[in-house]
Amino acid sequence: MTEQIDKALAREYEAGFVSAVESETFEPGLNEDVIRRISEVKGEPEWMLEWRLNAFRVWQEMEEPDWAHVDYPKIDFQAISYYSAPKSMKDKPKSLDEVDPELLRTYEKLGIPLVEQQMLAGVAVDAVFDSVSVVTTFREKLEEAGVIFCPISEALHKYPDLVKKYIGSVVPTKDNYFAALNCAVFTDGSFVYIPKGTRCPMELSTYFRINEQNTGQFERTLIVADEGSYVSYLEGCTAPQRDENQLHAAVVELVALDDAEIKYSTVQNWYPGDEEGKGGIYNFVTKRGICHTNAKISWTQVETGSSVTWKYPSCVLKGDNSVGEFYSVALTRGRQQADTGTKMIHLGKNTKSTIISKGISAGRSNNSYRGLVRMNPGAEGARNFTQCDSLLIGDQCGAHTFPYVESRNPSAIIEHEATTSKVSDDQMFLCQQRGVDPEKAVSMIVNGFCKEVFKELPMEFAVEAGKLLEISLEGSVG
Amino acid sequence: MSEWLQQAIARADSIQDGFSDQRAASLALLKDTKWPTRKTEAWKYTPLRAVERTTAVAKEEPAELAPVAIDGVDFLELTFIDGQLISLPEELPEGLTVEMQESTLFGSIKPSRHVFGLVNDVLAADVAVVTVAEGVSIAQPLRINNLLSEGSEGHIRVVVELKANASLSVIENGEGYGATLATAFTEYQIGAQASLEHYRFALQVDDNVAIGGCHFKLLEEAKLNSSIIGFGSALQRIDTDIIHAGEKADAKLNAIYLLDGQELFDLHATVEHEVPNCTTEENIRGIAADRSRAVFNGRIHIHRDAQKTLAELNNRNLLMSNKAEINTKPELEIYADDVRCAHGATVAEIDKKALYYLQTRGVSRSQAQLMLSFGFINELIDQMPNEALAEWVRPIIRDRFAQMEVK
Repeated sequence: MTEQIDKALAREYEAGFVSAVESETFEPGLNEDVIRRISEVKGEPEWMLEWRLNAFRVWQEMEEPDWAHVDYPKIDFQAISYYSAPKSMKDKPKSLDEVDPELLRTYEKLGIPLVEQQMLAGVAVDAVFDSVSVVTTFREKLEEAGVIFCPISEALHKYPDLVKKYIGSVVPTKDNYFAALNCAVFTDGSFVYIPKGTRCPMELSTYFRINEQNTGQFERTLIVADEGSYVSYLEGCTAPQRDENQLHAAVVELVALDDAEIKYSTVQNWYPGDEEGKGGIYNFVTKRGICHTNAKISWTQVETGSSVTWKYPSCVLKGDNSVGEFYSVALTRGRQQADTGTKMIHLGKNTKSTIISKGISAGRSNNSYRGLVRMNPGAEGARNFTQCDSLLIGDQCGAHTFPYVESRNPSAIIEHEATTSKVSDDQMFLCQQRGVDPEKAVSMIVNGFCKEVFKELPMEFAVEAGKLLEISLEGSVG
Repeated sequence: MSEWLQQAIARADSIQDGFSDQRAASLALLKDTKWPTRKTEAWKYTPLRAVERTTAVAKEEPAELAPVAIDGVDFLELTFIDGQLISLPEELPEGLTVEMQESTLFGSIKPSRHVFGLVNDVLAADVAVVTVAEGVSIAQPLRINNLLSEGSEGHIRVVVELKANASLSVIENGEGYGATLATAFTEYQIGAQASLEHYRFALQVDDNVAIGGCHFKLLEEAKLNSSIIGFGSALQRIDTDIIHAGEKADAKLNAIYLLDGQELFDLHATVEHEVPNCTTEENIRGIAADRSRAVFNGRIHIHRDAQKTLAELNNRNLLMSNKAEINTKPELEIYADDVRCAHGATVAEIDKKALYYLQTRGVSRSQAQLMLSFGFINELIDQMPNEALAEWVRPIIRDRFAQMEVK
């Protein structure tokens, strides 16, 4: 067993490499001029620049939050470069053939052959390499359906009214420290608009990747599902290995108008740092959706990477009968720290929310669930069910639960339960008795533990997620 | 910093000559402590306006008050009135001592994070130290009365030590009339294989501002059975800490809060599992009616060494009005893998089906509500080990429900 553990501990981050693409990068530092330059490079309208500058001023007044159960050295925001774009962008590739072959090879190394994926899975990929979207596929097919799926910088030119109407409407500028920073310096991200009554013909997907050293990545995603529409959006990320910590402060806003449904799935596998926790990504993300009448937003996440995770995908259930869901598997090992969970804010009548959170801690990691369920006085007949389960592997890790439950409506029903357990000797013994080796047994037990969440993922993602957990857990049990 | 706290510090400064090291340390700490606001996690849902606006003042001469009589219980009594120790038990059974001196245990069990605990450290004039000698079982319950007359402020502190194999039953009885302000903290060390039966009642509360705590340290194989019953008032805040410092200790905490009007009640229950093989069971039930606000925070902290811990917490709440509010936060912080921990919390109204069922049997709606909410609470009262106390408390709770019904 010890041998296996050593082997697994020595495992290198599989997606860790730096590809040599020439980049135009701002020198480190943050001030109003840097924001003006970002806006200028992007050729943004005047109001956008004003919005950014306002956010920057708000951010300067704010304090970095310290309530999360995570510990990391203070971030020097002046030491970060706020813009980096692959140089070949200037040539504006029209098709995959024109894309920098180095970029394509990067994706291949990650196991994301774009072409193959387009052919086999019918997935349109808006691949974000550093801060500028490089290639967007299946645009025509989506356009046929009236679906807009493009980099947000492009949307600012083509659909300024739509962007202006919804950006910051779910996560306001002053929402929190990292969201305010994102508002000021975001460089790119995705914009999705699904027209009324339209079912998006394919699953939309973005692969994120931080590449340039010392470049914080500030993604901004905005998805608007108009009345009666449906979209499933997949987000996955990996990052190459490096020594200095990298900040990732993304904002994702979802708007589900009446009767619309948005399904947002994430597999997050940023570089978690080395054995001592050095060099991993700081993932400080604000994700929130607003549900209008009869709308539904479902967040599913599999979090295995990052050295520090600070992430609470939330739903504001504003319209009557709206539904919010949160399914999460968070796995931490080594020195990883995750503080993740959700907020369900019930405003409308008969709103429903379900929270299923599975935390797995191994090594010397700390894994916290932090959640809020709030029933406002208007949430007549609202319902919430929360289940948080933690699994501990090894005696040097921590599993924590911090659920906030606030009710102001007597007809609302809230149920919260949490349990903690370990991979028991009995379970292991039973498996081994039947000839299953310990590695496989742990993987089986963990997969069973996470089943409720995996079944919410789209097929390809579920397979990837299962594989990811298996790899991450190798040798964690002795 | 609030004016009230500044005055408290000024008062402590004026008497600090006789301070022990512990008290001096608390005073220094208090001077560095920020006045809690909505952003202070431990006071997130509990505004301190009632303290800031209090008119209560410390009285030179204590008023004449008598604690409530409880039929069928023969007490030993320790009575504080307006913050001053008025009477000690006349005859003490063998093995029980009550002394007015600072014990080394003073401040060693109560965590220093609590700003009002620090205030109590420096302003509690009379510290009573109760000791039960090794192997002694005291049959008579000891009642600690904390009585406050209209407009008065008091700070009381009791330290109780049960030596190995001892046993004792303690009833903490707080009674305040009109607008009062009190801090009342008790610290208990339960020795090896000793057993403590504990009650804390806050049933006569009016417009009281009462902030206090009971802090228990359990040594090897110690046993604790605690029941806390409180009504809301201008501000009721109780912090309990159960510290498992010896293996195979066992703690049980049942708590009930019943709120009406514009009352506020806040219970913060913390359990520290520092060593292996201990068990904790907590059952907390509350009802909030009218415009009241209930706050519960239940934290279970399993330290790295505390393998084979069994800890469970269950918090159930009934919300009776759409102006009332319940905020609950059960927390688990776990650093050991071979443990079984669970917590659950629910907030809802009375089960409509049960209500309907009773109504179909000819029970009026209001009567049915009363029956169901009483039943909800009575499940915990039935578990009180002292039957005479349970008998005494039941009608008080029934009256409370009747009042809640009128509105």
